[in-house]
Amino acid sequence: MDPQTYQSTGEMLRNLLTLAWLLPLAGFVLEVFAGYWSHRLSRAAAYSAVFCIAAGFVCSFAALMYWGHQTHWSALESHASPADHHDVLKYFSGTYYTLAEFGKLRIAIDYHIDSLTLVMFTMVTLIATMIHIFAIGYMSDELTEHYEDHQVHTAHGHFHRPGRFYMFFAYLSLFSFSMLGLVLAGNVFQVFVFWELVGVCSYFLIGFYFERKSASTAANKAFIMNRVGDFGFLIGLMILWTWFGTFQFNERVESDANGRDVVMPGLFDMLRDDHGNVTVLPANDHDSYARVFLADPGHSGALKHEGHKEGKTMPYFLLVVAGLGIFAGCVGKSAQFPLQTWLPDAMEGPTPVSALVHSATMVAAGVYLAGRFYPMFLPEVLLTIAYVGCITLFMAATIAVVATDIKRVLAYSTISQLGYMMLGIGVGGWTAGLFHLITHAFFKSLMFLCSGSVIHGCHHEQEMPKMGGLIRKMPITAYTMLVGVIAICGLAIPGISIFGIKIAFSGYHSKDAIIATAMTFSQLNGSHFLLFVVPLLGAGITAFYMFRLWFYTFIGQPRDHHVYDHAHESPVVMWAPLIVLSFFAAFVAFKGEAGSLFKLLLDTEPASVAHGLHDVGLAGDLNFPSHVGIEENHKAAGLYALLVAVMGTTLAYLFYGARVLNPAEVKRQFAGVHNFLVEKWQFDILYDAAFVRPVHVIAKWFVAFDRNVLDGFLHATARTAVSIATLDRRFDETVVDGLVNLVGNVTYDAGRSLRYVQTGRLRQYVMFIVLGVVGIWIVMRLFAA
Amino acid sequence: MPFSSLVDSLMQDTLGVSLPLFATELAICATIVLLLLFRLLNLDQRIPGAVLALAGSIAGLGLAVMQHLQYSQEADLVGQSVEIFTGLLIYDQFTIYLRIFLMLFLVLVVYLTMLGGIPDREDAPDFYVLLLGSTLGMLLMASANHLLIVFLAIEMTSVPSYAMVGFLKGRRQSSEAALKYVVYGAGAAGVMLYGISLLSGLLGTANLPELAQALTALGGADSALDQPSLWTLSLAILMVLVGVAFKLSIVPFHFWCPDAFEGASAEVAGYLSVASKGAAFALLVRFCLAMTGSAVPAGDLQTVFVHLGFGIGIIAAISATFGNLAAYTQTNIKRMLAYSTIAHAGYMLMAVAALLVILGSPDAPDGGAQRTEHAIRAVSGLLYYLVVYLFMNLGAFAIVAIIRNQTFSEQIEDYSGLVRQSPALAVCMLACMFSLIGMPPLGGFVSKVMVFASVFKSTEYYWPMWFILSAGVLNTVFSLIYYVNVLNYMFFKPPREHLEPVNVPLASAYGRYALLVTLPVFLLGVMVNRIDDVAYSASASLKSFSVPVVANHDNADPPRQSVRSTPAIPAPVEAATPVSGG
Repeated sequence: MDPQTYQSTGEMLRNLLTLAWLLPLAGFVLEVFAGYWSHRLSRAAAYSAVFCIAAGFVCSFAALMYWGHQTHWSALESHASPADHHDVLKYFSGTYYTLAEFGKLRIAIDYHIDSLTLVMFTMVTLIATMIHIFAIGYMSDELTEHYEDHQVHTAHGHFHRPGRFYMFFAYLSLFSFSMLGLVLAGNVFQVFVFWELVGVCSYFLIGFYFERKSASTAANKAFIMNRVGDFGFLIGLMILWTWFGTFQFNERVESDANGRDVVMPGLFDMLRDDHGNVTVLPANDHDSYARVFLADPGHSGALKHEGHKEGKTMPYFLLVVAGLGIFAGCVGKSAQFPLQTWLPDAMEGPTPVSALVHSATMVAAGVYLAGRFYPMFLPEVLLTIAYVGCITLFMAATIAVVATDIKRVLAYSTISQLGYMMLGIGVGGWTAGLFHLITHAFFKSLMFLCSGSVIHGCHHEQEMPKMGGLIRKMPITAYTMLVGVIAICGLAIPGISIFGIKIAFSGYHSKDAIIATAMTFSQLNGSHFLLFVVPLLGAGITAFYMFRLWFYTFIGQPRDHHVYDHAHESPVVMWAPLIVLSFFAAFVAFKGEAGSLFKLLLDTEPASVAHGLHDVGLAGDLNFPSHVGIEENHKAAGLYALLVAVMGTTLAYLFYGARVLNPAEVKRQFAGVHNFLVEKWQFDILYDAAFVRPVHVIAKWFVAFDRNVLDGFLHATARTAVSIATLDRRFDETVVDGLVNLVGNVTYDAGRSLRYVQTGRLRQYVMFIVLGVVGIWIVMRLFAA
Repeated sequence: MPFSSLVDSLMQDTLGVSLPLFATELAICATIVLLLLFRLLNLDQRIPGAVLALAGSIAGLGLAVMQHLQYSQEADLVGQSVEIFTGLLIYDQFTIYLRIFLMLFLVLVVYLTMLGGIPDREDAPDFYVLLLGSTLGMLLMASANHLLIVFLAIEMTSVPSYAMVGFLKGRRQSSEAALKYVVYGAGAAGVMLYGISLLSGLLGTANLPELAQALTALGGADSALDQPSLWTLSLAILMVLVGVAFKLSIVPFHFWCPDAFEGASAEVAGYLSVASKGAAFALLVRFCLAMTGSAVPAGDLQTVFVHLGFGIGIIAAISATFGNLAAYTQTNIKRMLAYSTIAHAGYMLMAVAALLVILGSPDAPDGGAQRTEHAIRAVSGLLYYLVVYLFMNLGAFAIVAIIRNQTFSEQIEDYSGLVRQSPALAVCMLACMFSLIGMPPLGGFVSKVMVFASVFKSTEYYWPMWFILSAGVLNTVFSLIYYVNVLNYMFFKPPREHLEPVNVPLASAYGRYALLVTLPVFLLGVMVNRIDDVAYSASASLKSFSVPVVANHDNADPPRQSVRSTPAIPAPVEAATPVSGG
């Protein structure tokens, strides 16, 4: 691509994505006032929100197609390997607006567009459009002047309030804008801004029924837990700002004072050379820290081609801390261990919110950032990410097995799947992790919407033990849900392929990729074998609890006839999105790793991933798998995963489908374990004891200190100030005002007397002309003489 | 030279050179003719005179702006000046600046009269013929290069204004004001004409650039000028200045002003206060520069100019003081604004005083190297002041007119509680008043700072200018009281009950107009450089600055180039500029 085409392509992409990004903001502005502009019972707000996000999808999709056209779809060619064409820039970045400049330091609103951005944009806008449409049906009971909230009890019965239909869509639009901004962001500071914006949208949406105590508590919990993660994020930002002096991801060209072009490297360019390698200077006699070399702004050339040995360095451990800090933000947002407890509670929000914010997009933002920021992560950080993901996926999967609330099962499943993604990224499967992000977004939003449809059909009944046999009442929901369940379990028909294509849904491919990477990783690093065993086991548990959910809900005899009798299939506005999403859930990863989605993501993969890393890390004992290595294990890993998944499915069928085994029996047998799982591994209790209570105690001390010491001091100061002011006032009134009044009176009197000159007599006026001329002349003479 | 070739060259000069450069004035002339024709053919029933006048004045403005753009696009034109119509008029950036100023003002005034309904439909063509005719005179004042044109232009400006002051025929007050204005104007014109005849008689020419040459020849080092003729000369200059001072309503030639303003409608008063001031200051600057010429000779003549400058300064200080103090006790807002006008004329006159002192003084700091730069700054400060004054004063008068149309009152106390009835108008008035006082960050502050800065510079040339400066600063404080008094009524007093409430929301035509006029007052206070750069290059284009100003005992250093991105002042060519005709 020649530079001119490159520039015009970049501008076109920027314009399209900017439009897609800003449309929901315009929608938000429109909708937030809709309550005043139109009738409360009007659906106009919903239509405007749907229009904005759908238009955004059109723009995003057009951008993706345009990008493909301009690059001749080089990303999809099978021989394309990311290392092959680094002569062409594969991303488009630039600045919208510079917020502030402090010498060389600069904060700006940037954009960064590559295939990951485009895929994320298309995915987010598509899913959001479906969920917006679904919500028109799901939220229709808000279209009333007297919404009765059955879960809020007051002294006079249930709580009544006007419906908030338009507000819901306004929040959704604001969220869409924030999420897209996060993806489009070209620097990590901007990511942080939108990170907080999606956070606050999530807060609004979880607390949508804020009159319910549970909802407002859940909203607070989500917000506060995220703050903990963001604290780490901020620390990471500070370290980066101090040592790198920029937040920008990639380099940017800037004119210096002499008009020459200077390349200002971004974070990634400063840390890594063209092959994605970091130059580490081990600790020696002079320096007790190991250090990392950084390229100087304006002299990036040295680092670009081969690692250099001179220039700026920063301590290795600080970069690790920075990476961990940023990852802490991801932990909070993606509900990873140990900050996972907010996500199940966030199910207090309306179901479309759970589908959009808390499964498909916002919680995946943590994974997205971990992927985007991958070049900044040192091997130690990656290992941490892998272990955190590993712990999370296992823990959440086990809890999901005993959960009975249909949405909570899905919430724990989400946490668990996010753990898979993190694990994938942590063990060096960059593309695998993000691949799973996209596929998961589709099938999990689908399942959430299905659960929404069930809840809507069952009149807000969420407990699975009260359902059963619903497939007869709501077939569309049941079958689309089944598509999602098969997808997430990773079921496939082994050995048979039609036209060389495996018969499998999207989840099979993406989970397969992660497990293959994990397997290769554990082969290379024998001591980390858990990183392979646990996800494999997790795959079985996933299959078990997902089919448990499906059998529980849709198969067999109804358990509660009251619920069953009133159940009904949802209206078309709700089931149509299910059909669309189930199509994507099944086929988005079509052809797996030979398919277009994987190839698209592969195009953005950081340079360091493809060939693997050998003997890296400070201790020099970590190895990361290369593409070739993963490929060798692919078949075996796929088989293992499939085997485990089939086992899980079978078990679930025996328990809940055929009802040959009795779950109550097992529950009694392992009462201790069951209780431990029902209590969510005791995390809420632990946090309450470890943080909440001590904070209360300390707060009491501070209140006492404040009352007795600080207030006393303040009061004394205030009294002194008042007495001085009184004195000052006396001085002011007598001396200063007196002087001013004196001057004022004198000038005023002078002015009054001047009035008499203006007599109004014409003869006098004309006289004055002559007198004036002669008078001035005489005065001039006298003066000059 | 055969007569035919003389005629040919005259034709060439007129048709080829002069008329295209005279386009703005021609547009006004054409509009006047059209207005009269329409009146004659009764077409004015179909196309209102106001629309025609507005179209004509917009066309004139457009032409003037195009001339400005031509200058700003072609770098080698900058600083060039052309004498047109055989040297009667001069065309340079200064002319263009004033043209744009006057035409912009004309457009705004015509629009205001359209909104306000003065004049009524029947009288409209007459009124606009008078208005446009008077503006035509002002345009000539701004480009006058000959004493004859000076007189003609002042008369051409004045005569239609007399009629306009008396345009409210039914009102006794109006007629009385017009009569006073006429008689006073006639007196002033007589004195001026006498001055012109003395001056051209003494110096043997009436062409302004030649005046300077003649003066230089007369008052050289060997001073061919004896004492009596020197004094006659000074009297002549003084008498010419009286004509200008009358237009500027400078004390003691201001007596017509409060009466005329009170009698005239607010629109006319606003027009007179701003437009004639702009034109008269342009004329004054040209005249003063012509007198001082390119090189001020040493000796008696030099002291004459310094004294003249200082004298003008004193008159300016007296004007400002008198205007401000007399405004205190006024109860009629138009009368108050009339005195305010007198005071502002005083401030602006200080810039002219500073100019004369800077050019004339023998003791210059740095050996006079910065003399031209300082002089240009004085003129450009004055030009900036004029633009700011246009908006703030027109804004005040426009609001007076708007309120008069609602309440039929022009008493200050009837403005009570305006903020509760029409907050937009009240806030606009507040901005105008604060700008008239000179509060930052409004335009009035910036312009006052510029003028005072010039006076401050002039103290380095001639120390008694400190008195002028302190008078100016002190007057700013004085002026505070009567402006704030109006605001006090508008914002803190309850509305008077017997009056119609003023109901002018921002979204009405009136409200938008008030906003349109007030907004530049803010902008001129915040974004100074754009207009200031134009004003600077307009000032620098004046012919006298094109050649270095050197007092004969100073070293003939070429003027130092200014640091700012202003056009370079062309290098000295010859001592005298070529003369064409006369």
